[in-house]
Amino acid sequence: MFAYIVRRAVIGVALLIVMSLVTFILFFSGAFDPARNACGKVCSPAQIEQTSKALGYDKPILTQWGSFLAGIVVGRDYPLDKKVREENPDLVTHCAAPCLGYSMVNTDTVNNVLKSAIPISVSIALVAFVFWIIGGLLFGIIAAMTKGSFLDRGIVGLSLIFYAFPTFVVGSLLLRFVAIKWQIFALPVYVPLTQSPGLWFTNLILPAVTLALFYMAAYARMSRAFIIEASTEDYVRTAKAKGVKKVPLMFKHTLRAALTPLVTMAGLDLAILLGGAIITEDVFGFHGLGLLAVTSNSRQDLPTIVGIVLLLSTFVIIANIVVDILYAYIDPRVRLD
Amino acid sequence: MAISPTETEQRSEVGVVIAGETTAAKSPMRLAVDRFRHDKLSMASFVVVALLVIGAILAPILVKLGVLDYSTLHQDLIDNTNGGLPTGAHGGISASHPLGVVPGTGWDVLSRVWLGVSFSLAICLCATVVSVVIGAVLGIMSGYSRGALDWVIGRLVDLTLSFPQTLMLLALSAPIIAFFNSSLHLHGNLANAVYIIVVLGLFGWPSVARLVRGQVLSIREREFIDAARSIGASNSRIYFREILPNVWAPLLVQTTLLLPSYVSAEAALSFLGVGVQAPLPTLGNVLADATTWILGDPLYFWIPAVMIVVIVVSLNLLGDGLRDALDPKSGR
Amino acid sequence: MTTNRRRVAVVGAIAALSVGALAACGGAGGSGGSSSSAAKGTLYYLTQTSAKPEHLDPQRVYIGRDITNLSRLVYRQLVTFPDSADKTAGVTPVPDLATNTGTSSNGAKTWQFTLKDGVKWQDGKAITCDDLKYGASRVFAQSVIPGGPNYLVAYLNIPTNKDGSSIYAGPYDKSAANQAGQAAFDKAVTCNGNTITYDFKKPWPDFPLAIAALHMMDPYRQDKDQGDKSNYSVFSDGPYELQGTWNQNTGGTFVRNPNYDAATDSTTVRKALPNKIVFQVTSDAETIADRLIADTGNDKNAVTDRSVPSSRFSQLNSDSVKSRLTSVSSPYIDYLQMNMKRLSNPLVRQALYEATSPQAWIDAGGGSKAYLPAHSIVNPVVHGYQPNPAFNAPLSGDAAKAKQLLQQAGVKTPYPINFMYEKTTTADKQAAALKSSWEQAGFKVTLTGIDADNYYSTIQKPSNNGDLYWAGWGADWPSAITVTPPLFDGRINLTKTSSQNDYGQYNSPAFNKLVDEAQNASTLDAQTTALQKADAQLGKDYAYVPLENQVFNLLHGSNVTNYLQTPSSNGYPDLGGINVK
Repeated sequence: MFAYIVRRAVIGVALLIVMSLVTFILFFSGAFDPARNACGKVCSPAQIEQTSKALGYDKPILTQWGSFLAGIVVGRDYPLDKKVREENPDLVTHCAAPCLGYSMVNTDTVNNVLKSAIPISVSIALVAFVFWIIGGLLFGIIAAMTKGSFLDRGIVGLSLIFYAFPTFVVGSLLLRFVAIKWQIFALPVYVPLTQSPGLWFTNLILPAVTLALFYMAAYARMSRAFIIEASTEDYVRTAKAKGVKKVPLMFKHTLRAALTPLVTMAGLDLAILLGGAIITEDVFGFHGLGLLAVTSNSRQDLPTIVGIVLLLSTFVIIANIVVDILYAYIDPRVRLD
Repeated sequence: MAISPTETEQRSEVGVVIAGETTAAKSPMRLAVDRFRHDKLSMASFVVVALLVIGAILAPILVKLGVLDYSTLHQDLIDNTNGGLPTGAHGGISASHPLGVVPGTGWDVLSRVWLGVSFSLAICLCATVVSVVIGAVLGIMSGYSRGALDWVIGRLVDLTLSFPQTLMLLALSAPIIAFFNSSLHLHGNLANAVYIIVVLGLFGWPSVARLVRGQVLSIREREFIDAARSIGASNSRIYFREILPNVWAPLLVQTTLLLPSYVSAEAALSFLGVGVQAPLPTLGNVLADATTWILGDPLYFWIPAVMIVVIVVSLNLLGDGLRDALDPKSGR
Repeated sequence: MTTNRRRVAVVGAIAALSVGALAACGGAGGSGGSSSSAAKGTLYYLTQTSAKPEHLDPQRVYIGRDITNLSRLVYRQLVTFPDSADKTAGVTPVPDLATNTGTSSNGAKTWQFTLKDGVKWQDGKAITCDDLKYGASRVFAQSVIPGGPNYLVAYLNIPTNKDGSSIYAGPYDKSAANQAGQAAFDKAVTCNGNTITYDFKKPWPDFPLAIAALHMMDPYRQDKDQGDKSNYSVFSDGPYELQGTWNQNTGGTFVRNPNYDAATDSTTVRKALPNKIVFQVTSDAETIADRLIADTGNDKNAVTDRSVPSSRFSQLNSDSVKSRLTSVSSPYIDYLQMNMKRLSNPLVRQALYEATSPQAWIDAGGGSKAYLPAHSIVNPVVHGYQPNPAFNAPLSGDAAKAKQLLQQAGVKTPYPINFMYEKTTTADKQAAALKSSWEQAGFKVTLTGIDADNYYSTIQKPSNNGDLYWAGWGADWPSAITVTPPLFDGRINLTKTSSQNDYGQYNSPAFNKLVDEAQNASTLDAQTTALQKADAQLGKDYAYVPLENQVFNLLHGSNVTNYLQTPSSNGYPDLGGINVK
């Protein structure tokens, strides 16, 4: 098991290095013009060139990538020009390892920019995750156990409808009606957990519900389908024939098989959401990684975009490893090899 | 879909249970069709989807014939002193505009939603086909084979899945569409549509591949695969004759989740400003515009919103129905 | 996602609307009624995420809203604009840190200002002439703190390199190579006691206007300067100071500055009434409008810079909301620029102009509440505005005349054109509306919507395949010298790799000559006359088509009193006089 984890971790790191290269080529190889954007409104070509030099965009792409990777290991100092740094120690920004670069737009290291956004995205994702897993599994199990009944049909029908509403529509409806028109909840504003756990949670309800409704609907449908499928497995039918009661049959036998594919999905979905729910954060104005991505995109803040891409990729890669281990744990037929 | 002998054996047992003795002689496909036709919900969704498809095919023809008109301005039908709201009651419903007109431009809502559904379905179907074909082939190969192939495909899946999809779709749209313009001579909305198809398709396949691989991992350990191997069946025979029929059901579930989810994704991208742009309508760009009018012109908002729900729900129900019919183990 | 974010920054001035129903809202002034001037409570200032301030550094800030907000709260200038709703007084500089509005000599090439006694920084130290000089020097440090207005680089009497860049690289570069530059700067900007003297290469008759409208000449304390790291630091010499730090994503709070002495200031500039001003960066313009329409809780004490989106106009008609709405025309003009290289036939350009229906564009974007028609690229409140004589077609276009002109031009119809614009949900509808008007006249239109982040960099590429471009512009200070020359002077704009602000690659010797005339004029009147002729020349060439002048429809909460949007605040709420109950 330990050897497996180490091997996966090594592959994961290699994957991240490849990803950083792909991302670098995609964003810094000329399709965008980062220096022009950082330079300002009335900007001569000479000034663009100057800006490009100050930010290191004049170097070959592989050199830029190399210093970026080096920065992750040992950290970097900004501005890049050593001469300017030595002459003006006050101007120096140290970006400690693992340094993801410096965002001219935010005038801060990418690490600091991400640091302020992560708790918000993680909060939304975790609260939504709890909502959707509890809701999704609960409704899925109920529907599967009462298959064919009105209850089952009601759950399936409702989950289909909620699954069908685009997130931005649900979010806009909740925001316009629940928060603004009817004022059932105050307009959601992120409050850090450390400041007030109560306010943290109540302010997260609307964005989390917006996110969770979609996933809850999908998970209810999927868990229902998987449970029904698992209940036709031989060993479940055997257990049933041996007289195991309905509820223990569900939790001891059927669910275990049904959960296997769900674990894969839940793990990956959560990992992706930890990296920010772009639409939900955009609708509610929560400054998590998703909204940061949107604003960085519209301001062509390439270092931040690259930082977000790599951070999110790290989440996903770690989740993949965890999911595979869980997979083996839940389904003994799968071997880690 | 060809069914291997082992499969038929397994299935007939269940088939008898469900459909009674008289059907024992029928082919598995015939059985599936029968089962499907006996399910009212499946048939209802089938009818709705069929209507949607016929409507989608008819829409461009009706535009050519001048029955649908999605882009003529009707400035006389809007009140330009009041934000451009339609002048008539209920979003400007009239005999010539049965679902009202769009605020600001006076475009006909019926035409825009109808043609929008048509374009959205076409774009998303293309993207789905791209994803499912790549995902199924790579997923089966990956799950079954041992060694290098599995490893390479696995890393490719990891790499693709590791990219934050929405962010990449958003950030890459400008340079890729610029590339379409300059190198492939695709312009305007054609470039926008191709972008949506290509990126949704290419970012969407790993979820299919992963799911298929997960299924194959446990199928691989089953007796009938061992049996096939022991009688010397070739790899491609095992892939497509032994394994594919067994992953068909989850694959179909995944496909039915994928097509409507792409319809939603197209809408979400429109909300973020990526994709086909007016005056050409897609369900996404009509809905994105309409969402700003939730309070000001509710009818204009609810028409595309209900339409997207109808599409996604009916496609999902159809998929469920097919799944239940094709995979009798889940029998009703 | 319906905000038109423009690259253009600032502005000079705004005008009160006096048309139709809007007149009820009463000029640039607003509601409020009682002029209670007792200091009170907390004022909230709401803005949206996509419009959050990008710089608080005085030498870098370049957005009209931020410039005035900072002027009223924390950054005093040598001269500034008073918070007057009057069209003329509001854009006439008054002394602020300086004892008068400056004295010029040597044909407006030399300007001199003397600091008032008793003006202090927030730590109690006196503001010195060296602080002013240091502030000016930061403008040259484009490689360390890029982004701000850099007019000084072109005007200050410092030699340039062959490529046109200044030999002075700003105060951070202490290398030997920069010593000549530093010496040149020290010669061009000199201190004598509390008197500072600027020495320019060419006449700058409107210099006081420029420095009242921008913060580029503000003093800066060298010991507080951390270059780029200071982007969001505020070291105040005004009535308020920043409490703690500024958070880009959520905003910041300004509280009273104990070292501010109101005796050195004028109440026509800063009444500084609320005890506390909280800037809130929040989601979007729709939500801000919905909150202010609802008018509950802290939102009763709120003002905003976000114009009400047209989808909310129907909710503005009730008395309780209408009384809290103020409508003023914005300092921007939106226009279409023709590509002179691709539309080389003047008759085709004229036909395109005649076919254009600004009315269709206006209606699709929200109608007469959202826009006023424009008759020149110069905003009506800029000094020396006159409607451009070339643009007299009906507002909804003249398709018949356009057809006839196309025929006269002898081109094959339908004539294909590619229209490029900055993509938003609203702009898509507006562009589609224009497409209809052009196609009626015999054009075949391709619409190319480009997202905001890439729009300007795309249309600045000389090789782009657009025939017609949407663009928006506001004057940097209320003089046409910051409108037509930066947009149409081919000599400063056109290079091999970029058309810069001259997207249509217009380059006319006749126009350039008039620009030279304006730039070398030593009086404002002579400058204005030359610029009027220059605009007429642009009209004659159909280099651009004016579309509209956006209207700011701003709501405020019911507890806000003395509410004011003035020319000097660029049409935004003027924090100089606003109070809360």
